[in-house]
Parts: sequence; C-alpha cells; structure tokens
Amino acid sequence: MTKEEIMGQLTEIFRDIFDDEDIVLTESTTSDDIEDWDSLEQINLLVAIEKHFKIKFQLADVANLENVGSMVELVSKMIA
Amino acid sequence: MNSYKFNDLSVGMTEKFSVTITEDMMNKFIEITGDISPIHVNAGYAKEHGFKTRVCHGMLFGSMFSTLAGVYLPGEHCLLHSVETKFSLPVYPNDTLTITGKISEINDTFKTVFVKGTITNQEGKKVCKANIQLGVRE
Repeated sequence: MTKEEIMGQLTEIFRDIFDDEDIVLTESTTSDDIEDWDSLEQINLLVAIEKHFKIKFQLADVANLENVGSMVELVSKMIA
Repeated sequence: MNSYKFNDLSVGMTEKFSVTITEDMMNKFIEITGDISPIHVNAGYAKEHGFKTRVCHGMLFGSMFSTLAGVYLPGEHCLLHSVETKFSLPVYPNDTLTITGKISEINDTFKTVFVKGTITNQEGKKVCKANIQLGVRE
C-alpha cells in the first residue's frame, strides 16, 4: 500500500470519527487544525486505525506522533 | 461497590442493577436542571399528547449509566470518557428499570474499555441503549 493510499484511508477514518466530511488531511495536519481533536479523540482515532489496518500499536509507537505525516509513516512501517 | 482494576476486566463481563423511577426523582431532576418542558411536568398535557402520564426525562434514567460505570463496571476506579445514548421508548414514574453493561472491547495499549449499555423496563422492553467508553485508574 502506498503512503497516498494510507493517507486516503486515514482521511476516511478521520471523517468518520469527527463526523465531518470536509476534513482534508495533509502530512502537516496536527490536532491544532481540527477543533475536536483532543486526547480522547486521539485514542478513538488510534483504536480505529488499529482496527482498519489490523495492526496493534504500542504506547511507545504513538507517544511522539507529531502530525498526520508521522501517522502515515508509522502505519506504512507496521503493515509492510 | 465493585472495585475492578483494568487487569480484572475481560470482554463479555456483565453487571446489572435495577432502579424504580419515582415522581420525587423526576421533581428533583427538574429542580436541578430546570427542564420544565410540560411533557415532564404536567400529566394532563402528556396524556393529551399520547403518553400514559408525565414522561421521565431521558437524561434522568440515562444518568444511570454513570452509576453503572462508577459503582458496578468497573466501579471505584472508573474514569468515564464518553456515553453515547439513544432513547427508544418513554419511561414513566413507577417504572422499574434494569440497567445492564457488558464489556464489548478492551484496548490494552490505551487502557480503554468499551461497554454496551442497555436499559430495559419491567416488561423487558429496551428503553435506552448506550455506547460507553471508560478508563480505569491505577
């Protein structure tokens, strides 16, 4: 799966979690860019990503995620 | 009160309790929230609009999910994150409700527990359901 495909699928997950079809992700998107993206929604996002990509994060994996780009990198590495 | 810790919990674990809704509870809820909508206050008005008598506020019996989490599942160490609630049938004074929670999912990494909540009345009819998300304090 390419990083563009992962980004596309992450976009759908974000739209579902935040109930907002207008969300457009870029690699530099952070929680500052999405009003409802708080610590609880971060957990919901990561749990949804785990289910969607059939992966299992460890806390160390996700503790220092800086932006959506680093999410894409992490997912890409885990499904490789 | 139960005092389950995170490692005590498993998918499928179920807890339940019962409560009877009283006029006094409804009046106290009105006093606290100020929701004086006539359907909740005036039996005559409620009957005119197709209900048996004054209707219990959904958020009153829905608040029993707080009790479910904070007293029963997991109890003492609960940290409630969210309760997404749907109300499907009216509840009236003197209805006896059974509140049930069943763990549907546990995420070890994020120490998060997902509970399916249901409330049924004395006839066994589902009046409310909820998706509950909670953490468990160490």
